[in-house]
Amino acid sequence: MLTSVFIAAVSLALFWMAAFTLWWQMHAWRTPEVLASTRFGRPDGGEHLSFSLLLPARHEQAVLDHTVRRLLESTHTDFEIVVIVGHDDPDTTVVAERAAARDPRVRVVVDTHEKKNKPKAMNTALPHCRGDVVGVFDAEDQVHPELLAHVDHAFRTTDADVVQGGVQLINFHSSWYSLRNCLEYFFWFRSRLHLHAQKGFIPLGGNTVFVRTAVLRDAGGWDPDCLAEDCDLGVRLSSVGRKVVVAYDSDMVTREETPGTLMSLLKQRTRWNQGFLQVYRKKDWKQLPSLRQRLLARYTLMTPFLQAFSGVVIPLNAAVALFLDVPVGVAFLTFLPLVTAAVTFVFEVVGLHDFGRQYGLRVSFAHYAKLIVGGPLYQVLLAGAAIRAVWREQRGRNDWELTRHVGAHLAEPIREDLPA
Amino acid sequence: MTSTLPAATATEVVAPGRAVPEPPAPPAPRRTVPPLRLRLRLRSSRPDLLLCGALLLAVLVVQGWNIAAYPALSDDEGTYLAQAWAVQEGRGLAHYTYWYDHPPLGWIQIALLTRVPSWLSPGAMTVGAMRSAMLVVSGAGAVLVYVLGRRLSLPRWAAGLGMALFGLSPLAVVLQREIFLDNIAVMWLLLAFCLAASPSRHLWHHFGAGLAAAAGVLTKETMLVVLPALFVTMWRHSHHDTRKFALTGAVTACALIGFSYPLFALLKGELLPGSGHVSLWDGITYQMSRPGSGFLLAPSSGSYGVLHSWLYYDRVLPLGGLAGALLLLVTRRRSVTARALTGPALVVAVLTAVALRPGGYLPAMYVIGALPFLALVLAGGAASVTHAVLRRGRRPGERRLLTGGRFALAAVLALAAGAYVVPRWYDGDRTALTTDANKPYRQAAAWLGTEVEHPERKRVLVDDALWLDLVHAGYRPGLGAIWFYKADLDPAVTKTMPRGWRDVDYVVASPTVRRDARDLPNVRAAIRHSRPVAVFGTGEDRVEIRRVRPATDRQAPVGGTR
Repeated sequence: MLTSVFIAAVSLALFWMAAFTLWWQMHAWRTPEVLASTRFGRPDGGEHLSFSLLLPARHEQAVLDHTVRRLLESTHTDFEIVVIVGHDDPDTTVVAERAAARDPRVRVVVDTHEKKNKPKAMNTALPHCRGDVVGVFDAEDQVHPELLAHVDHAFRTTDADVVQGGVQLINFHSSWYSLRNCLEYFFWFRSRLHLHAQKGFIPLGGNTVFVRTAVLRDAGGWDPDCLAEDCDLGVRLSSVGRKVVVAYDSDMVTREETPGTLMSLLKQRTRWNQGFLQVYRKKDWKQLPSLRQRLLARYTLMTPFLQAFSGVVIPLNAAVALFLDVPVGVAFLTFLPLVTAAVTFVFEVVGLHDFGRQYGLRVSFAHYAKLIVGGPLYQVLLAGAAIRAVWREQRGRNDWELTRHVGAHLAEPIREDLPA
Repeated sequence: MTSTLPAATATEVVAPGRAVPEPPAPPAPRRTVPPLRLRLRLRSSRPDLLLCGALLLAVLVVQGWNIAAYPALSDDEGTYLAQAWAVQEGRGLAHYTYWYDHPPLGWIQIALLTRVPSWLSPGAMTVGAMRSAMLVVSGAGAVLVYVLGRRLSLPRWAAGLGMALFGLSPLAVVLQREIFLDNIAVMWLLLAFCLAASPSRHLWHHFGAGLAAAAGVLTKETMLVVLPALFVTMWRHSHHDTRKFALTGAVTACALIGFSYPLFALLKGELLPGSGHVSLWDGITYQMSRPGSGFLLAPSSGSYGVLHSWLYYDRVLPLGGLAGALLLLVTRRRSVTARALTGPALVVAVLTAVALRPGGYLPAMYVIGALPFLALVLAGGAASVTHAVLRRGRRPGERRLLTGGRFALAAVLALAAGAYVVPRWYDGDRTALTTDANKPYRQAAAWLGTEVEHPERKRVLVDDALWLDLVHAGYRPGLGAIWFYKADLDPAVTKTMPRGWRDVDYVVASPTVRRDARDLPNVRAAIRHSRPVAVFGTGEDRVEIRRVRPATDRQAPVGGTR
């Protein structure tokens, strides 16, 4: 009897968790109108804002030059690029200085912090920004030339304080986990983030994010001690009622690459999870006005840990139902989380198809198979990263485990798209 | 204060007027008026509510008045209600072994529907009394027909016509009064169609359509053949940009819920055949191999008889609806109404094709699944014809005489149709409202409840329709009051009857029992070795209570040891 009650309770909890996550994940496709509203409005030709684009670069000499050149191709007429390099990183500094010598719109700021991380670097550059709006990109980003014009238009027409553009991992063919990683980004930026913007609680992304300079200075810049400074900034800004607008256009997204190895993905995910945990513990989200928003915040920031939990419990629960002697009704309940998992899988398959369509990429049957087979494995990876994050946070280890970039998303430099 | 971007002007879709605060600054006219279909909200349209409400009232009165007394009780009703009773009593899915004849969801719903009345008055759990629960189902179905008609862009009067056809046709009145699984299943299917044609084209509405369709199929498995038409409807009503998510979502939802049935069998260890237990596989095999009732149009076949039993009650809805469906399918290219009603017309076409397969089994309730769609396509056909008469080829400066002629022709057509239909339906519905076809059953139940001593020790072979009456009168459910055919077909019952007909005290020979006894040796012998002690009614419809003869030489009490 007690077993039955326990199993039923766990199953129902898991079911609702998965159902909510699914509901949010599918936000953008709820109706054609919602989908249309997630795109950028078409620019009207007027350009009134000036941009300061921050480009923190650490040991990125391989890709930095390409990124800067591409940024300089922007159609917008009024922007500067602030490359932030470390005083202990001569290779990247050389590349940055060369770019600055080539074009007056590029400037170099040197970060002299002893222990370096991305928020400290950006805070170093913040006082040097001359633009009305500060934008953040990563050194390996491929930015669309018309993005700034669209962002300019979005700021002016919506009166936003923050505009978050889409970021998309592209190299889905590199490995089984990069496939899933790409799709995760797709669902996050294409869909889920819009829901957060609408609900008034949003963890911002790490790049292609634009904040009015005054607002950013008001907020005191980024939190130098937080491992997910982007998420933290979003939470702090939306918690005090700043207006955030999200827009996603497949030809306007910033293209990135997945971490090159499974281990670096694990490290990256550990860092994010730990960052989410830190943001949760900072309690800025408690200033949100409504209970629903606070619940959404609580749930979102705890997601990695719920994920870890459910990844372990779902199979266990089903096994219990099959092998232990429980009433048929209770056994039925244990299948509910599997039902939502199945629905999620199906939507992921359709999402992969849509992703291929939107980016003109050929998705073969093998990729769909990999997506399905890789699902449970990826879940294990996520669970591992979540557990690792809790453990590190408990031990007080919050140093920055950096992700290395090889340029797999770029068309020319280094190709990694051989069949994995 | 955050929000998503307003709709991009490049797309044809326009964001509905959600509570997104507009910036005061640039007066950009970006947000155009939403298309009409998005603004159509039946809930807030007074004429729609009034028309639908009035029709609902009429339908409920016509279907509800005299519901217990007409039509004659059917043994299928008794079967489902008895199983619903078993569910309520916590005796599992049936009081005899559940053998996967149908998925159990149908009578689980009947159990829920009758839960409150049977709790208030346990003795009311009999077929006649509980037919009133079906009013909930047919009322909901009628409203859904109206909503679906409107969502398929029928004009108000045509949607109302469809609802009236569906709820007031004498054929529909007779069939929808009965406790048939098909009635519940068709309600679910109508809900699925309504959700599939949702004007907001919401992903989760389509998902819900899949769930409702699955509920329909799990209520009565024959609804499976309607699903392709549902898919077509959903395809037509979804938007290109979100279609793949909406449709795969719906199919997934339907499939996953549908799989719960085999899963249920698997969890009970009854998925595949094996010795000593029933199985889903056997149940399906049985249903698929039921002896055919012949070709529908061959006058000697059983199917032909079934067809004529429908046409006896009403020709307008089945034949007119069929003609309407053909008209709509043929004029698809030219008529907007025809395109809008593709889904219902396809349902009619598919169901007709299935009924026409030679050698198939055609049960009397088969037509129930088609009724709402017949009504909709007939109403759609009427709308299409009316539109052709009134509007086709009409120009702004048309002569008044010609316009007057158009309206006169429309009026003549309407009057002619009314003159044909109204008298026939009046007769049919009056019969339904006034005839008492079940008096013999009630009398038989009363007799068995009062004239037999120690009912708890007696064993009676009885038609399913009267079984619950006997249970309420004190007979033991299952082995005391026995569904007559179980005495030959259910090993769990026959093993308690080692001496065959001699172990039976009474046979309640209703028309059904007499008809089926031909193939049931034990029942046949019990009838032969018995004499009537009470007869109610006359002729073919009489109900005889027959006492099995050698009562004297029987080993005294039958009860205890069995």
